[in-house]
Amino acid sequence: MSTQPLLVDIRNLTIRFGAVEAVRSVTMQVGAGRIMGLVGESGSGKSTLANAIIGLLPPAAEITQGSMTFEGRDLLSFSNRDWQRFRGQGVSYVSQDPMSALNPALRIGEQMLDIQHWNDGGRPEKMQVALNALKQVKMPQAKARLGMYPHELSGGQKQRVCIAMAIMARPKLLIADEATTALDATLEVEIVKLLKELQRDIGCAMLFVTHHLTVVEELCEDVTVMYHGDIRESGTVQDVFSTPSEAYTRNLLSCDPSRIEEKCRRLPIMSDLGLKSIADPERDAARIDQTAKPLLSIRNLDVTFRKPRSITDLISGTPERRVEAVKSASIDISPGETVALIGESGSGKSTLARAVFRLVPAGRGEIEFDGTDLLSISQREMRPFRNEMAMMLQDPIGSLSPRMPVGTSVIEPLIISGQSKGKDLRSEAIKLLELVGLDEGFVNRYPHEMSGGQARRVGVARALALRPKLVIADEPTAGLDVSIQGEIFNLLAELRETMSLSILIITHNLHVVRHLADRMVIMYHGEIVETGPTEDVVSAPQHSYTKVLLAANLHAKFGTG
Amino acid sequence: MAQGISTLSRGARAGSLLRALCKTPLGAISVVIVLTFFAVGITADVIAPYDPVKLDIRAKLQGPSAEHWLGTDQLGRDVLSRLLVGTKVACFLAVTSVSIALVVGIVLGMLAAFTNRWIDWSMLLIFDTVRSFPTIMFALTVVALFGPSVNSIIAIVVISTFPSYARLVRTQVMSLRNAEFIEAQRAMGASTARILLRHMLPNVIGPVLIVASMDIPLVIGVEAGLSFLGLGVRPPTPSWGTILNDGFSFIRNTPWIVIAGGLPLIFTTVAFTTLGERLRDILDPKLRK
Amino acid sequence: MIAYAIQRILIAMLIVLLAVTTLFVMIQFVPGDPANVMLGPRATPELKEALRERLHLNDPFIVQVYHFFIGVMRGDLGVDLTSNRPVLNILIEQVPYTASLVLAVLLIALLGIPIGTYAAVHRDGLFDQVSGVVSVSLIAIPPIVIGLYLILIFSVQLQWLPAIGAGEGPWEIILHLILPTLAIGLTWIGYVSRLVRASVIEVLGQNHVKTARAFGIPNRRVMRAYVLRVALPATVTVLGVSIGFILSSAVIVEILFARPGIGKLMYDAVISRNYPVVMGTVLASTLFIVTATTIADLLNVMLDPRSREAG
Repeated sequence: MSTQPLLVDIRNLTIRFGAVEAVRSVTMQVGAGRIMGLVGESGSGKSTLANAIIGLLPPAAEITQGSMTFEGRDLLSFSNRDWQRFRGQGVSYVSQDPMSALNPALRIGEQMLDIQHWNDGGRPEKMQVALNALKQVKMPQAKARLGMYPHELSGGQKQRVCIAMAIMARPKLLIADEATTALDATLEVEIVKLLKELQRDIGCAMLFVTHHLTVVEELCEDVTVMYHGDIRESGTVQDVFSTPSEAYTRNLLSCDPSRIEEKCRRLPIMSDLGLKSIADPERDAARIDQTAKPLLSIRNLDVTFRKPRSITDLISGTPERRVEAVKSASIDISPGETVALIGESGSGKSTLARAVFRLVPAGRGEIEFDGTDLLSISQREMRPFRNEMAMMLQDPIGSLSPRMPVGTSVIEPLIISGQSKGKDLRSEAIKLLELVGLDEGFVNRYPHEMSGGQARRVGVARALALRPKLVIADEPTAGLDVSIQGEIFNLLAELRETMSLSILIITHNLHVVRHLADRMVIMYHGEIVETGPTEDVVSAPQHSYTKVLLAANLHAKFGTG
Repeated sequence: MAQGISTLSRGARAGSLLRALCKTPLGAISVVIVLTFFAVGITADVIAPYDPVKLDIRAKLQGPSAEHWLGTDQLGRDVLSRLLVGTKVACFLAVTSVSIALVVGIVLGMLAAFTNRWIDWSMLLIFDTVRSFPTIMFALTVVALFGPSVNSIIAIVVISTFPSYARLVRTQVMSLRNAEFIEAQRAMGASTARILLRHMLPNVIGPVLIVASMDIPLVIGVEAGLSFLGLGVRPPTPSWGTILNDGFSFIRNTPWIVIAGGLPLIFTTVAFTTLGERLRDILDPKLRK
Repeated sequence: MIAYAIQRILIAMLIVLLAVTTLFVMIQFVPGDPANVMLGPRATPELKEALRERLHLNDPFIVQVYHFFIGVMRGDLGVDLTSNRPVLNILIEQVPYTASLVLAVLLIALLGIPIGTYAAVHRDGLFDQVSGVVSVSLIAIPPIVIGLYLILIFSVQLQWLPAIGAGEGPWEIILHLILPTLAIGLTWIGYVSRLVRASVIEVLGQNHVKTARAFGIPNRRVMRAYVLRVALPATVTVLGVSIGFILSSAVIVEILFARPGIGKLMYDAVISRNYPVVMGTVLASTLFIVTATTIADLLNVMLDPRSREAG
């Protein structure tokens, strides 16, 4: 594998949670100074394995067999004191969720002092070390940050603090557990670049745990692929990505929408790679009714949020605070067309979608649906229009009523719109579930008894219950494993062909949407900065932000970009 | 209509809940005690061996014997019979006052969360005002004004407990208000009533019921406290509080009345609280693991 | 922060105002003429009229409320109808007894913190299970029953501790405080330990504690600065809000142990319909409770940097 000496040597390691084997007889080596990517989908056991190396398995977990050494020292025989001394200097850790990784009650500087238990120097000396570390991770205004509390920092800044803490002791191994997953694509690129630089400067080894194949390809030298607690494949990134020897790895690579260059009509899925078919421009054009008036036409829409004044504000005369979430946005969607509204968190894209359904107090402008301005009618007059458009919210499970069996959830639109009379609701529910590929048995299931992919299908079924003309889908594939993303994509692609749907997809994820969308609309800080046919936007972006976004999302060159 | 779709009956769920409650020995004992409490509350008049108000001065302040298992009080009345019949009062109070407080609390809590800011704000102020009034002060005032009676106790318990239900419901509804499944309802055009009843209530009721089950000991305690002070149930009607009051006067020479009078209070209050805790552990997924 | 404090204090004052007004409203509903009730059936009409005049009973109740608060501003809470002494003086005499009892209860309630923390850290261990059962029982059993059993065991049977009065001289006062404090406080030890246990368990599972451990911060420091520092503010607030319940129990316990104090004072006043004293005790106890909740709230904001900004 490599010529460097071994740092971590794991052999035949098995970790159980009660009766469940989360990690099954796993053998893995990390060479000193190497960057190893540990890849797998959710539930593959990759995080459990990473936690074992740092000795932080949850109490319910038990190591039943195997060995684990670090520079030849047996980790499994470590006492609590040994672990404590080992952590920080031997191995350190950047956690998945930067938002919750810092103690909310202590200042950043205080926390950075605490972890310097290996430093015998006094307080000023430790502060200096902390300050240097913050500068090393390129934290703006590093000195001022030391006196701040975590809630005063942004997500990206918190993650920088976490990384600074991780490198402060010059560890021999840095474990990054999904360290960039919660971040926006452009930020992810920055953090990955930073990690690579730091690793080079310090010369530590790195274990990068992720489900994101592209990041591994760009960042890592070695890769280990896990599936259901087993190691399926390991080797150098070059070997594994160009000539994967295992079917699972091969399928995973070919199902990742971000690795498919050409625009697809159907994406390959894990169980059926042959499903893949290339998009046919003529067929797509025929689906869209260009001659008709746009089905949905948003013109110069402004949405402004007002923060209500409290009593103390009234007393002290603080003026009302306003946030302009959407500024003069215009979008047209033709019958049958699929438009993607793309932007990062806080760009106002979700607010815009909610404004169409009048879920947020709409501001000025026009939202014309099928010839009627939705902003000028009352909530009562709005009712019939709600039957012709449907909304799918982001969280597949959270958007279903938790105490209601999904069979009931699916037919709710029928009941609410008063179209349930004289119908056999049970067979309606079964019909709808079958439409999205779920069998009759799902009628009695509760949302928490389903996987994310299944719940998403239920969401699609509910959206289609009234045969709407327009579906607005907020991040339809977010939080789903890569292999499931393709299935949901195919479902939407199939349904829009059979039902002549218009779809507005709201997302920050270009990988999937680039295959599905006819047109792209790019949103940045509440404003629409670019719009055009998908092929044009992807191949020749005009606005500088679009270029940055595309670079971060698609063929990112982390090392040089 | 829509409910018919689920083939899973509510009865089956209640059954599995009961089984889960009985899994630990303490849970099982608590279930037995609570069931006994209600059973005795209903059948007290039939199963009491003696007339609880019949005087027998010759047999006053006797210790426990085969005839009078728990002895007699200063008027020669059978303590066991008095305790059994006293259960009736406790049971009636627990059921009526907690259910009234629950309904009032849930309705006002939902209203507070779902109407405009000013109504919400003034309701909160009222809730907090009631809460800052110590229960006993309030009870004393009510009794001073309206005289001691079972109805006064119900009024006291309802008014002093409904704010905590209302506040709990309000916080829960507020936190659910922006949940995606509620937003989905609004996007579909569901009415406010439908959102509240079909989607909020089922998710809010669990924690409130748990708090309510833990408030039953509070009701029993309030009755005991007030009756002990002579401000609750009026003699000669037996209640757990009046029995303690009778016994307290003779605590030096005949302690068994206080001992016997305290035991049912201890058993029921501990059983209800234990059940409430178990219920919370079972129903709250956050604490389940 | 200061703006938040002002807001809290304003609300607190409003609550006191509302509470006292409510009481006046309730007195309006009292069956029969209050003067009749207070003076008995044999009083002459002139006497009754004089009393009505003195208590402003002939005025509409809004005016009565106004007179009451004007009096409060001047430190005049009216006069005790039976002893003819100023109510304020009586309150000043009685408050220390109740305050010392409540304070003693709060102090022993703090014992719940180490108990709850230890139980949470050794979750499902023997100590956790035993302390769990004991705590739940203590929470459930009404203080009156605990008090009666304590008297039975420690004063009647063992004759170790006094059960009547408040005692004189420092040593006697402490001895006389023990049983009443336990009668109320045992409940609160149980309550605090359950609260602390739940919130420590929650914080122990949080990501930042895992991160702290991942950097090898010594266990004691993790517990103190990363677990308790985050878990305890919530407990402080709950204790503050609970002052009302503690005061409630104090009333019953004062009567049970024949201790002087606000509770005994109010009880006697209510029985004899001594309205000025009733008003005075209600005002004093509401003020006490509102102050405690406000302080707890502000303390919580000071301990939790996140909520500091929100204010």
